[in-house]
Amino acid sequence: MLTIAIMGLVFVNLVFLPSIISGVIANFNSQSINYNYGNLVVEPRENNLYITNVADIKQKIDQIPGVTGTSPRFSAGATYYYHGNQISGQVIGFNPRYEQQVTRLHTRLQEGEFLAEGDSESILLGSQLAGNIDERLDKLDSLGGVTTGDFVDVIFSNGVKKSLKVKGIVNTGSFGVDRNGFVTLREINEVYGFTDTATSVLVKISKNGEETQFKKYLMQYGIAEKIRTFQEKGQGFVNDAIRSFEIINAISTMVSLVIAIVVIFIVIFINTINKRRQIGILKAIGLHKAIIVYSYIIQVLIIASCGIFLGLILSSGLVTYLTYNPLIFPGGAVYPVVEVVPVIRSIISLVIVSLVSGFIPSWKIANEPILDAIRGQ
Amino acid sequence: MIQVTDVSRVYQMGLVQVHALRGVWCTINMGEFVGIMGPSGSGKSTLLHILGLLDEPTTGTVTIDGSDVHLLTEDEKTDFRLNKLGYVFQDYALVPELSVQENVILPAMARGIPPDEYLRESEKILYQVGLGHRIHHRQYELSGGEQQRVAIARALINHPKILFADEPCANLDSATSRTILNLFRELNEKYGQTIVMVTHEDWHEEYMCRILYMKDGAIENEKECRLKK
Repeated sequence: MLTIAIMGLVFVNLVFLPSIISGVIANFNSQSINYNYGNLVVEPRENNLYITNVADIKQKIDQIPGVTGTSPRFSAGATYYYHGNQISGQVIGFNPRYEQQVTRLHTRLQEGEFLAEGDSESILLGSQLAGNIDERLDKLDSLGGVTTGDFVDVIFSNGVKKSLKVKGIVNTGSFGVDRNGFVTLREINEVYGFTDTATSVLVKISKNGEETQFKKYLMQYGIAEKIRTFQEKGQGFVNDAIRSFEIINAISTMVSLVIAIVVIFIVIFINTINKRRQIGILKAIGLHKAIIVYSYIIQVLIIASCGIFLGLILSSGLVTYLTYNPLIFPGGAVYPVVEVVPVIRSIISLVIVSLVSGFIPSWKIANEPILDAIRGQ
Repeated sequence: MIQVTDVSRVYQMGLVQVHALRGVWCTINMGEFVGIMGPSGSGKSTLLHILGLLDEPTTGTVTIDGSDVHLLTEDEKTDFRLNKLGYVFQDYALVPELSVQENVILPAMARGIPPDEYLRESEKILYQVGLGHRIHHRQYELSGGEQQRVAIARALINHPKILFADEPCANLDSATSRTILNLFRELNEKYGQTIVMVTHEDWHEEYMCRILYMKDGAIENEKECRLKK
């Protein structure tokens, strides 16, 4: 029973960390698509700061079958002032109607309302930027508790200063989004004196996962600007985190498998030592070595199967618990995602190490001279 | 027929060489019930092990039915033991997790006999050795004599040409020993089973056809005990 329990826990360990890594990736993907980038981001050509003729580009992209929305954005550096607090960050301008076709920012309002197309002198603040009156609740420096209806002073990167009324606070759970302020595209174009200009165009497609394919479609439809998928945009931070996770996972997997090897080896070794004489006698009466080895292999397979079964039950329990009580990461709440491949890989690796560690002691004892085994020498 | 020609067996015990057998010559005919007797250390068990293909002679040859058995490969020896030889050990050597019948059918299963056949045969043999009512019992439910009879049934399941018994009565009282020896005599007389048995009880002689007396690793004397009926 103890052996089966250990095998079960080893299995949980083999499955758990990959499920968290998958959860982090899934979280990153959904955060990126839903709040940050959409599926694809069209950016200015090399050596250009802006995309001009945005309306044309938007129209071209909109007619591509499978594209469900496009939202031109204008991002700029800005410094926010509120009650003596000063935070530097980004201000993003978008057309609220178009934005709702691409991202789900409008669904994550902590308070207040989402921007409307005709709004001016209004701003939406990310929850991390707005902050809390009690600064101990803030995870980073903030404006110290801005609420809807307050006015914040914004100095744009071109030096223009505006006092904007906070229309709402958005809380997506993603630091990258919740540190920003959002205004209408018309507002920011006015500040910078541009028309029909953006720093990026977000594109939403009907089916996630087909970004690379759609990147090609966009090029075929004559979009000459730089096109990047949300994964390409998010490279760096998340990839580093995933790489670190994978190193930890590799170490943890190795330790787990070594534990499984040692446990099975010891169990079978002690078993063969205790039954040494019996094995000698069975060989004496004419049982082939292979039969003796097979009998131990079957024993090991039963232990491994029961352990895997127990591990599946424990893993399901753990995953269910974490689904209701997710781990909170900087990118937001991470739910474990159990994928078939890591589970199958864990089952196969446990079965293989069990077979190897069961085979060695049984093969050794089966090859012992019959009389030595019978006499217990 | 078993033909033993100048067989010696030397064991290396650390730096010391122990001569367990020193040039043994003997012949055992099919259908005989032969006893090997002698004091402790005389080499009787060593000879039985060599005859039973459980050990190798250092020099000399053992021929069973015309074939020099020590020229066989390890797998061939295993098959030879399985198909042609049967063993009964002093301490019964049953598998405690298995029932009486399961213990008996083990060698037949290893031979690949169909289940209905080995189940039928095991029942027949268990009735023959007087354990028809104990077929589904476990080892711990049996007396010493019954356990030894299970071991004999196991040795007989494959209809061996020769049955080797290494002090099968050593752990039994004299009444139970007589039951076992009567069974051996019955097998020998009624079915012509060749039996080679190691013992050091003189009173066992009355059950055997012939006794080989061993001393210091060699056969010192042999004696005809009873005529086979």
